[in-house]
Order: sequence, then C-alpha cells, then structure tokens
Amino acid sequence: MERKDNNQAKAPQGAGEAARILTEFLEVAITCIIFLKGVYPHGAFERRRYMNVVVHRARHPQLRDYIHSSVNGLLPFIQKGLVERVVVIFFDNEDFPIERFVFKVNLNLSYGSKVEQSDLEFSLRSFLIKLPVSESLTKLLPRGCRWEITAYFRALPEASTSKDSELIWIPTDTKQWQQPPLITPIKSMNSEPLGVQLYLEHPSLSEPKP
Amino acid sequence: MSLNSSSRSATSNSNSKRSVTSNSNSNPSTSGNNSCRNNDKRNRKRKTDQNQKTLGMAWGANSRSSSRSAFRNSPFPDFGSYMVMKNQKLHQQFDADASSSSVSGACSGKPIFDGVSIFVDGYTVPSSQVMPNSEELKGYMLKYGGRFENYFSRHHVTHIICSNLPDSKIKNLRSFSGGLPVVKPTWVLESVAANKLLSWIPYQLDQLASETKKQPKLSAFGFKSGPVLDDLEESISGQAVPQSGIATLRTSCSLEANIFGKAECTEEVEECHSVSDDPFHPNAAESADQAPTYCMENHCEVELDAAVVVQSDAGYHSHISPCQDPKSDHNDCLEDHIIEESSSSKTIRPSTTGHSTLSDANFVENYFKFSRLHFIGTWRNRYRKRFLSSANGFKDMNPSRNAFATSQKTTIIHVDMDCFFVSVVIRKHSDLKDKPVAVCHSDNSRGTAEISSANYPARNHGVKAGMFIRDAKALCPQLVILPYNFDAYEEVADQFYDILHKHCNKVQAVSCDEAFIDVTDLRVEDPELFARAIRTEIHETTGCTASAGIAGSMLMARVATRIAKPDGLCYIPSEKVDDYLHELPVKALPGIGHVLEEKLKKKQINTCGQLRLISKESLQKDFGVKTGDMLWNFSRGIDNRLVGVFQESKSIGADVNWGVRFNDLNDMKDFLLKLCKEVSLRLQGCGLKGRTITLKIKKRRSDAGEPVKYMGCGDCENLSRSVTLPMATDDVDVFQRITAQLFGYFHIDARDIRGAGLQASKLESADRNMRGHEKYSIRSWLVSSPARKSSMAKGKGDQLYSDIGPPVQARGSFSGGEAYVAHRATLPALHDLDVGVIESLPPEVLSEINDLYAGELISFISKKKEKNAGNNVMDEEQSLSNPLVPPNKDFVHNVAEKIKSSEKEDEQYINKMIQGLPETSGSVTALLPETDSLMPSSLSQVDSSVLQQLPEELLADVLESLPAHRRPDFMSNDVYLDHIRDQTGAIDFLPSNNLWVGNPPRWVDNFRLSSCQLLNRIAVLYNKSSPRGQFSSVLQLIMSEYPLDDGGDDAVNCLCELMKQYIKLKIETDVEEIYTCSCLLRRLTSRSELFLQVYNCIIPHLQAAVGETYGGDLNICFIE
Repeated sequence: MERKDNNQAKAPQGAGEAARILTEFLEVAITCIIFLKGVYPHGAFERRRYMNVVVHRARHPQLRDYIHSSVNGLLPFIQKGLVERVVVIFFDNEDFPIERFVFKVNLNLSYGSKVEQSDLEFSLRSFLIKLPVSESLTKLLPRGCRWEITAYFRALPEASTSKDSELIWIPTDTKQWQQPPLITPIKSMNSEPLGVQLYLEHPSLSEPKP
Repeated sequence: MSLNSSSRSATSNSNSKRSVTSNSNSNPSTSGNNSCRNNDKRNRKRKTDQNQKTLGMAWGANSRSSSRSAFRNSPFPDFGSYMVMKNQKLHQQFDADASSSSVSGACSGKPIFDGVSIFVDGYTVPSSQVMPNSEELKGYMLKYGGRFENYFSRHHVTHIICSNLPDSKIKNLRSFSGGLPVVKPTWVLESVAANKLLSWIPYQLDQLASETKKQPKLSAFGFKSGPVLDDLEESISGQAVPQSGIATLRTSCSLEANIFGKAECTEEVEECHSVSDDPFHPNAAESADQAPTYCMENHCEVELDAAVVVQSDAGYHSHISPCQDPKSDHNDCLEDHIIEESSSSKTIRPSTTGHSTLSDANFVENYFKFSRLHFIGTWRNRYRKRFLSSANGFKDMNPSRNAFATSQKTTIIHVDMDCFFVSVVIRKHSDLKDKPVAVCHSDNSRGTAEISSANYPARNHGVKAGMFIRDAKALCPQLVILPYNFDAYEEVADQFYDILHKHCNKVQAVSCDEAFIDVTDLRVEDPELFARAIRTEIHETTGCTASAGIAGSMLMARVATRIAKPDGLCYIPSEKVDDYLHELPVKALPGIGHVLEEKLKKKQINTCGQLRLISKESLQKDFGVKTGDMLWNFSRGIDNRLVGVFQESKSIGADVNWGVRFNDLNDMKDFLLKLCKEVSLRLQGCGLKGRTITLKIKKRRSDAGEPVKYMGCGDCENLSRSVTLPMATDDVDVFQRITAQLFGYFHIDARDIRGAGLQASKLESADRNMRGHEKYSIRSWLVSSPARKSSMAKGKGDQLYSDIGPPVQARGSFSGGEAYVAHRATLPALHDLDVGVIESLPPEVLSEINDLYAGELISFISKKKEKNAGNNVMDEEQSLSNPLVPPNKDFVHNVAEKIKSSEKEDEQYINKMIQGLPETSGSVTALLPETDSLMPSSLSQVDSSVLQQLPEELLADVLESLPAHRRPDFMSNDVYLDHIRDQTGAIDFLPSNNLWVGNPPRWVDNFRLSSCQLLNRIAVLYNKSSPRGQFSSVLQLIMSEYPLDDGGDDAVNCLCELMKQYIKLKIETDVEEIYTCSCLLRRLTSRSELFLQVYNCIIPHLQAAVGETYGGDLNICFIE
C-alpha cells in the first residue's frame, strides 16, 4: 500500500537520478551479457569505455536500439519503484529458458539527497569488471537460441500512466521453470539509494526437460 | 531459331573448309546428319575433302602398319620392349659369364665392384698396358663382382667410364651422364690392383675436372654403395705408372698431387672432408655438401695442394720438411700439411682440426688470423702503439714546419717496399729470388683463391695481385705459391719503420710497407743520397728491397716511386714535374678510382696532360667542388697535403664476406656473437669505445647463383643498419644485444647471407670514456646511496610521525630550506623526521645526517623544540578521552555521506578528515610526500566522535593505518572503540540475537570472551580481516589458519547462530556475500569437523532464505 503511494508521487530527485544512472548502466551491462554469451559474432560489437572500463557496444543499429529502447522504456517504472528485477533470458530453440541473468534492483525512493554518477560508479563498475570473468559460470548456449529482456514488476502498472515510451513494455507469458532454479550470484552492490544484485539462474537438476 | 542457327553453321562451314573437314573426319556420323540438312553441292564438296584427307591418312596408317608388321613377325610389340629383352639377354650372358668365371677361375677376385655397374662411353684407348679397352673393363667387372652395361640406363649404370669425351658431351654433361660420375678407366684398374673399391673422385675425367668451374655438385658425391677408399697406400703400390726411382714419400706426394690435380678442387675439399669424417658412410659426403658450408679456404686448399707444391719444387720441399710439428702455428700451415700429407700416405686423413666447415667454431678468429687485409688493417694499430711517441714529437714540431713550408721548398721521400708480401716470405731463400713467386692464402692450382702479391719475375708473366690462382697458374705454370707469414711481415714492417724513424722524425705511415718521410727540415744536401742510404739500410736489415721516390710533394713522390720500382730510386725535381705528369695515366693519381676513371674516360681524358686542359670550374661542375679541385691540383702536381700525422681510425670493425654460409638463424646468431667478440677485442686493443654500431649484411641477390669464387660472396645486396648508443661501449654483451636487434630489422633468410660486418664508429678513447662514464653512471648514485639509505631507514623504521600534529612546523621547514628541495630525491623531508628519534641518535650519526641536510637538521630540531614548548601540544601520554580536535559535526556528516562504500577514495577521505582539523590548512597534503604521514601519531589526537560516525570499512582503514608502534599504547582498537561507546553512550547493550549489530559487531566481543579457542581466534581474525565487517573475509582468513582446532557443540551453535543472523542480514542486499560465505564454508568442511556441522546446519536455512527472497536455490560450489 505504501508502495502505491510512492507510485503516485514522483520519486524524489536523488532516487530519480539514481534510476537514470541505473538504466544507463543496465543498457551497458545487458549489451555486455549479450556479447559475453556470444549470441552474435564478436564483430557485431565494438569496444567502448564506460565508467573507465572496457565494455562492448552493439554496432548493429537494431540490436543497439532494442536494448536501448527497452531499458529506457523501463526508466519511468524504475523511477516509480515498480521494477523488481530485470532479467536477460536465453531460450533454446524450443523457447525453453536455459539461462537467466537477473538484475535485482532495489531503489530507495525516499532518498532525498543529491546523487552523483561518480558516487555510484565505483560499485556499478565492479559489475562490468566481474561480468567478463564470470563466463565460466554460465552455460554454453545451443545453436538457434533466442534471448529477450524481461522485467518483473512489483505491481502491474496502471494503464493510465501509459506514454509512448512506456508502451514498449508489454505483459509477457514467458515459459517458466517448474522447479526453483539454481542461483549463482555474480555481483552485489548495496549503497544508498541503489542496490543491485546480479545473479544467474539455471534450471535445477530436477527440472523436467521439455 | 533452330533454322537460323543451322543456316549460320552452314555458312561458317562454307567459309572455312578446314573446320568442315575436320568435323567430318573426326565424326563421320554427325557429318552425315549435317549433310542431310545441307544442300547437295556442299555435300559433294565435303566428300572430296574427305577423300583427300583419307588419302593422306591412309598413307600414314600404311607406313605405320608396315613398320608394325615387321615387329609383328618378331615377338616384340615395339622397339622399346625389344631393347628390354636385349638388355635382359645381355645381363643373362654377363651373369652366366660371371658365374662361370667365378666357378672356374681360381684367379677370380673378391667382389670389389659389388653394386657397381659401369657403362663405357666415348673413346677409350685401345688395349694398352695402362688404358684398358671396354672388353678388358668388362672382364674386370666380371671378375670382381661388378656389372657391365652395354646400353646406358640411368637405373642400372652407376659409373660412366671413358677416357675422353667430345665437346658436345662435356657441355651437356648433365643430360649425357644423367648426373652419374664420369670416371677414367684407371679407376677400375687401380681398384683391382688395390683389391678394393677406390673412391672414384680422384679419377674423374680431366676435362670435367677442369671444365666444371662450378660449386660442388651433389651428384659428384653420388656414391652408390660399397667400401670407399680409406687406404691410399695400396693404391699407390698397385699403380701401374712406374715411379720406382723416387723415394716413397716423394712418390706418395706426387701421386697425390696427380690425383688431386685431376679432381675439381672444390670437390676435393668436400671429398676429403667426407672421407676423413666418415670413411664408411659415403652419404656423409652428400650431407656435408648439402649443408651450405663455410670453411677456411686456407685449411682446405692448402692441405690438399701441399703436394702440388712439393711436386713442383723439390728444393722447397726439402727446405720445409724439417718442420716436424704438425700442430705448430697455423701461419705455417703449408708446412703442417705437407707433414700431414706425408704421414697420411697410410690413410687419407686431412688435417686434424677445424676443417669440418660448419663445425668450425673458431671460424671468425681463424678468418682474421689468416686474412691479409686484416693484417694490414690491424697493423695500423700496432704501428700507432709502437711509434706513437715519436709521432707525437713530430706533431709538436708541426707549427714551425708550417712556417718553414712557405719559405722553403719541401722535400718528401716516399718509400715503398717492393712486393712486400712476397719478398718478405722469400727473403731468406735466395734460390727463389729469381723465380716467379706469389703469395696467396691458398695454393690450390685450380682454386679461386686470389693472389695477394706476386714478385717481379711473376709479374713479368702477367701474374697480378687479385688474380685467381688458376688463372695465374695458367699464365705461369712454374709459379711458386707461398702462404702468408704474418709474423715475418710484422717483423719486417717494424724494422722498416725503425729505420725510417731513425733517419727522420717526420714519418707518415701509409701502410705496413709504405711511408712518406719529410726531410725538408733535415736540410739534406742530396736527397737522393739520403734516400739511397735508407734503401741500403732497409735492404741490409730486412733482406728485402725498397723503392723510393723523391719529390716536392707527396703526390709527386708517389709518382716517382712508381717510376723507380722495382728496387730503384727516382727523383723528380719540381721543374720536371710537368714532364712526368704529362703522360701519366689519370688512374695513377691517388683518389681516382674505377668510377672516376670511367667518368674521365668518357670525356676522353686518359692522362694527366689531358686532364690539365680542362678548367678548374668545369671540373668542379662535373665532379663536384672537392673532387674537381683535387683533379685540377693533382694533374698539375700540386699537392698541399703535408706529411701529416698518423690518422686516427674513424671506425673499428670486422667484416667477413668469405665463406659465410648459414643453415639457420642460430648459426647466424653464433656467428654474430663471434663477430661481436672480435670487434670488442679490437676496440679494447685500441683502447677505444664506440658509440655507433653498424651491422652490415651481404645478402645474396635472389637471381644470383653460386659465386665463381669458391665460398665467395658473389653478387650481393649490401644492407646496413646502425644504431647510436647514449654511451660508448666495447662490451661484448652490449654489442651482442644491439647486433641481434639490428639483425632482427633485416628480416632476412639466414641462408641468403653471404657476408656480415660489424663496425663501431664515433670512437672515444676508453680513458676519457671512463671519466664520462663515471660521471653519468648509476654508480655515482649507488655510491651515495648508503648514506641515503641509512637516513631513510632511520626515517622510516623509527617512525617520524610524532611531529605531524601541528602542520605549521612542516610549513616552517619548507620555507626554511632550498636544501629540502635539493635533497628531495634522496632524503626524507625534514618535517618527516621524528625529532625524538633524531635526538636519540649517536652524535656522529646525527652530524652525518645533518651534513646530508646541509646543516638544516640541527636548526630544525632546535626550532621544533621551541615550538613544542610554546605550542602546548598534547603529549602522547595524554588521556585517551581527551580529544585533540573538537568535534566538527558538519564536516563529519559530509564526509561520511560522500565516502560511504567508496574504498577508493579512502585516501581522499583521510585527507579531508585531516583538513577538518582546525589548525590544518589544505596545502599540507600537497607538501607532504606520503599519505601515511598524515596519520596522527596516536588515537589520542583523533576526535572519537568523528571515528564513531565513520562507516565501518573506513574506520578499519583508519585504525589500520595507525602507526604500528603506537598500537601497544592501546590494548586494541576495540578497547578503544568500546571506550568511545561508553563515552558517548550511543551504543547500548545489545541482545544476543542481534549479533551483527554494532561496530565491531556484537559477536566479536562475545567470541573473544568465549572459552573456545577457535571462537577467540575468529574474533582476532575479524580485526585482521579486510574489508572489515564481511564475514567472508573472516572465513578467508580461517582458510589460511592451520590447524583448525575443534571447539565442541557450543562453538558450532555460536557459529550457526552467527551465520543465520548474517544470512538474514545480507540476503536481501548482498547475496554475493552470502554465496561467497557458503562456498568458503563448504571448503572448510573438508578441513574441520566443526565447520562440517556448521555447514550442515546452515545450508537448509540458507536455501530457505534464498528461496524466499530469490525464488531459487543457491548453487554452491567451491571457490578457489
């Protein structure tokens, strides 16, 4: 109930700024994950520097646009504190999820002080550093796989708030695992006003194969 | 469409008859079809064509069938099979003969020719005593297990026997012989006589041996199989040529000479190597040949041809034979090898060492040991050392002489030894004086060794320096070739210069055998007489003759010597200069080489007279200012050069461009190393060091074949690279490193390298160098370093932080000292010094340090003392509860907020914290070199309220960076913090179910007070851990603890409770930490029963918590 109130009111300035930083970071991190998983040839990415770390950015306009618009489409929801998790899901050719990269977001909306990007940068950077070295934790993708970005909301957004940018996000009925997944944490950060946890989800061993 | 196309084809048919006919010929059936479509007329025409064609065809077919019909009568399908049958039959006959002879013949020898199959070709001398005809050869083959081929076949024949070949066959040897050896019949005879298979090499056809001026060919070593000659004596004893009257030694020598004379020289070389190396493995020869080899020409050729000399000159032989030590100096290698040859009359055993080409480890050394150019080059150095003092004296006199020169006519004598290199060698053999003699490092009469010097009788035959021996021998068969005798050269050159220096102190050495002397100052009455006296003395002392030229300038003196030679004297007075010069070829002038000569020739200028007709301006225009000037002057006999001082060498280096062949880069690298050593040695010998290092490589041009000169460099591309070092060097290692680097730039195939040279230029005297070196070298720093170190050690080790509190002092010291700036690099800043420590130092050390600080220290200390007294600074012993700095809430708040979780900015934070101190100004941080020095000397100087509000990580860091020696002042940080807690009352007593509350967390105290050692230990580890507050870091430390003692159930429960609370605390926000902890815990289970229990207890709880929060199970694995 309290959350709903928060939804109504615009997030205070500090949290809003943190949300903006978060979306920017998510865009980069998701691109890095896509690069890491080798869904596309490496040539489809170019090296860039973000927060003083080498990251990869999609060269293909459509790919870049997809990540950019979907993450940016999340911004209003994040600012309202609606978004709980942002997940990059890799499906095999039968649309069965085989690996999920979960960003669990925790934004303190009541945080009023000013937030500088540099303050969060140190923590966020560690994600970008940790990601490439976590490749061994991930699963090898089969051929013909597919991926998508899914956001888990704490509550369904009200229809009235729909703006053009928010229309990008549609309800989904993605296949879910029957059994609780195996979780492999990659990186956590917890600072005011933002906490982010990145972990991997894999189907549990007892998961029935489709 | 189809109609169209057919009509088109029809027209094309009509246009070109040939295509139609060929079409019909090749495919009559289609033509039939075509004809249906085409009209009758065309059809008819084609028929006639066809008829004509078939007529011709029929003729051909007939002729063929007729020839074939002849064969059809015989059992052979064609000529080829006939020959096969014929050969088979002949073989059978031969085999039958062989078996019958071996069965019947008691005289049948052992099968020495086993595996040998000969083919007799061309002209063989009809049956005679020495030269067998083909029938006899066949007989020998029969008898001794060989084969005799009536028809040549590459597959059966192993050797071709003939005593003469037509020119066409010689020219096309390869296609004729198919690469097989062409051998004289004597080989068979002598092999039979020796009762073993001799090497065919010495019996190679003369024509081939002399005609084949190529590098060794692989085919030449195409031995098939069977024993190889390793015993010469038997062959000698069995030789048909009667030589009975001569001594055995002589016989063997001459025979060898004879034998080798027949073979191509380079092949001899190879052959000898192979035989000596491995007599029973003929393939060794092949491999030796395949490997591009470098070897000392001296070795090979001298060794082989010693016998030739012996043959040609018995007297000489007798003279040298007394030299009995085969291992004597290599300069006497000729003698050596003659001895060896004579001793090798039992077995062919070419000299003992260093010959196996690639394996010649001392190639470079030997190369220079036997190089005449090297001798001449290094002689300069020798001369410099020997006569430097007198040269110096001469230099001193120079100015006065110059003053003289203007007024007085100069007289210069040019003295040049006559054919120095020969006459020195033969000076003690009067019998050789009138014979043509040449000096060469090799005397293989067919070799490509160049003659270095020839005496006048030899020159009369047209023998010149630089000529190949074989050409010289052709011009003058009786030419005696002698090796160098470098010791003798040195001796004579020294004598020569001794005499010159004795007579005159103005000597300019040109070479070891040539010098200018300026006798102007001596005011000699008759320069001719003077010169004659010198010549006589030279002759008496050295036994060699010298020629002298006297003139007013160096140029003319040289011209005069030219005229005077040999053994003469010529005086060109200034008035006669023009006459002499008029007909002088321009080439004779110094400074005119091939290129310039060619240029002049193009302008129809051959003599100086012609040259004189051209104006100075036009000469300068055509040849450049300098050269033009020189030409103009020289053609007029004007030479302003003074009989000058000894010219210093501008570069020192070593070049090898003979015998350079490499298999791979490693060979090259070895070679370069040797070159480096050589250059380094030479530099050291001259007392010089070089700054620029140049590597020159001769690279075989891609289109260039093997050079005419054996092992020469041939047509090469000259590559060169150089590098200039900051410091001159003569160090082998430096050379090697740089050379390798330079070589790397070339990107060159080692096999293409035909020569290499290494040069050091920008020479500096080693002494001067040493001084410069000293100045800039690191050593000077090292020397002063002990003092520096000691002061540093004092500074660091004893902690100089006590005076940090009032930064005013730091300021004062800074403003008070340029010395501080000057010593910055070496000495700790004055304000970093702990006065207490300094004061307690022994006085002598103190004064030493004071010296280092240029006297600042003492005043600094006294200043400080005053300050301490006046400033009322808190002493270290002051109570903990009395904070130095009053709380500054605002500041603390800001900082705490900003820095939270940002470890990287800790330093900055600390700076800020210090800045927060009232007395501190911002500039301090910039002044102080070390952040450590920012730390207060003790906690007593820190505002506890500031500390209390710090985030825990930061607090840990602050505590950590407290001076170590201050620590004992407090029981522990925790005590101190407890103290703070008590003092502020902010932290209440917490219930035990909130173990992770507080800083340090509650459990730390609990554990420390626990009776369980393990828990105590964990509490201690918590204080050690970093980052503080993370249990994973504590677990990490536990991992490194050994052994882990078990603590019982209480400990398990405590830890479980601790973990549970930790999980509860962190699960929402830091699943990573929980994950790390559980992984570490799992690893600990293998080491300790206690942790296994904890793990088992925790995991269900953990998974439940994770499931609750994240909807999944933690995937726990080992963390390495």
